[in-house]
Amino acid sequence: MQRAANTALHGCAQAGGPAHVGLTSSRAYGVIPPPRDPEEKEMLHRILRVDHAGEYGANRIYAGQMAVLGRTRTGPLIQEMWDQEKKHLEKFNEILAENRVRPTALLPLWNIAGFVLGASTAVLGKEGAMACTVAVEESISEHYNSQIRALMEKDPERYIELLNIIKEFRDDEMDHHDTGLEHDAETLPGYWLLKNAIQLGCKAAIYVSQRI
Amino acid sequence: MASLLRVLRTGRAFRGLGNALTRQSGSLRRGFYGSALRLENESKSDKPPSSSSTMYHEHYQAHPNEKGDSIRSNMSYQDQSGEHGEEYETEEQLQARIFTAALEFVQQYGWSMEAIAAGAETLGLSSASTGMFSNGAGDLVLHFIAQCNSNLTDILTEQHKHVQLGQAETKKTSDFLRDAVECRLRMYIPYIETWPQAMSILLLPHNIPHSLKHLSTLVDDIWYYAGDRSTDMNWYTKRAALTGIYNTTELVMVQDSSPDFQDTWNFLDNRIQDVVNMATTIKQLKNIAGMNQRQ
Repeated sequence: MQRAANTALHGCAQAGGPAHVGLTSSRAYGVIPPPRDPEEKEMLHRILRVDHAGEYGANRIYAGQMAVLGRTRTGPLIQEMWDQEKKHLEKFNEILAENRVRPTALLPLWNIAGFVLGASTAVLGKEGAMACTVAVEESISEHYNSQIRALMEKDPERYIELLNIIKEFRDDEMDHHDTGLEHDAETLPGYWLLKNAIQLGCKAAIYVSQRI
Repeated sequence: MASLLRVLRTGRAFRGLGNALTRQSGSLRRGFYGSALRLENESKSDKPPSSSSTMYHEHYQAHPNEKGDSIRSNMSYQDQSGEHGEEYETEEQLQARIFTAALEFVQQYGWSMEAIAAGAETLGLSSASTGMFSNGAGDLVLHFIAQCNSNLTDILTEQHKHVQLGQAETKKTSDFLRDAVECRLRMYIPYIETWPQAMSILLLPHNIPHSLKHLSTLVDDIWYYAGDRSTDMNWYTKRAALTGIYNTTELVMVQDSSPDFQDTWNFLDNRIQDVVNMATTIKQLKNIAGMNQRQ
């Protein structure tokens, strides 16, 4: 059994190399279509990279919140939202691996920053955690919406699978946003300030994760 | 990093770009090194990224009626039905043919314009056709590297196929890496005398972005076929480690005078073993510190 592999290897001693093989992907239909050219590939990879970073960050934010509020009344609520984010992250991990997309190099930064954000807002109490959730989920929904718009402008049929996934995740994030509002996010003193500060941070994170 | 460089390149090359891609043959702007891939992989269908050479050079003449499209290098002058289109040959294809012919003369003339001139002459062209190469020696080396990378990718996909068909067993990661790096470095053996010159050419500032790009796609390919599907920092650490291993082994190889480069392969074994040991140690330390969480 090793011999087949070995003969292929020994063939590589000549500069000519063995006859090439057409490579077909093992799945006929993946989430994203095989890119037609480098521009499209770059665009799709950016989208996936930033979305992956976003879900990863959201995950860490909820982890931070749970670390502080896990044993209070809001614990189960936060846990539920966290579980949904975990599913999102899993899906993106799968897509990235399948399409050989490079993850953003800033993941360790988002790891720490997300946890710190979640924990510090949770220290302000349940309203603080909910305010953070509202701010972040609003940013993410806006971001997903603009991606959906961009993909629809280009070619809705070609990207139908990816669009469906983003739409589904956007709907989940909107749910979280609404949940946050329902649970007294706005009663936090300094709500407006905190919300805008967090959203500014999210915008910066999105900008940077697309490129690095 | 490859993506960063690629982004810089595409940004530069496509400022103020127009529209659609024409899949027809004719005036299509393509990368230099892409043509090497095309020669090797003419009947390859759209395969996922690994092409080591989608470069868009502004060196050569812009064809008047096209607006600098970026076509994947896999799309050759053959049209959609796969048959050979017109007899038209683009400039990069011609250059690729000249480079391939020039490789025969590298031993004699080194990686230089003389080799390219000699190669052009074997194709029946005048040696003055070297005038179309503004970065001849560098492009020759880069062409050769792109060719080696695509050969390696072919070999790895072939092996992968055998494994999937059950005709071969999956190798351990360290063995896979060792075999892949050894295979790739063996492609240099016919040119090993002149390889130090080639390496120094690659270090020239205008060649560095391209050589780094080839290196990063090489390393990415090897890890992909080794089964790496990580989407966290491991993506970076693994590739950095393999880049280190590959570069140091290459350096050892050019100074190696043992029979069949046995010293080099031993060195390679030891370096891979080092990385494996380091990974194991880190994992153990993490276990002790309680840091090893569920993924």
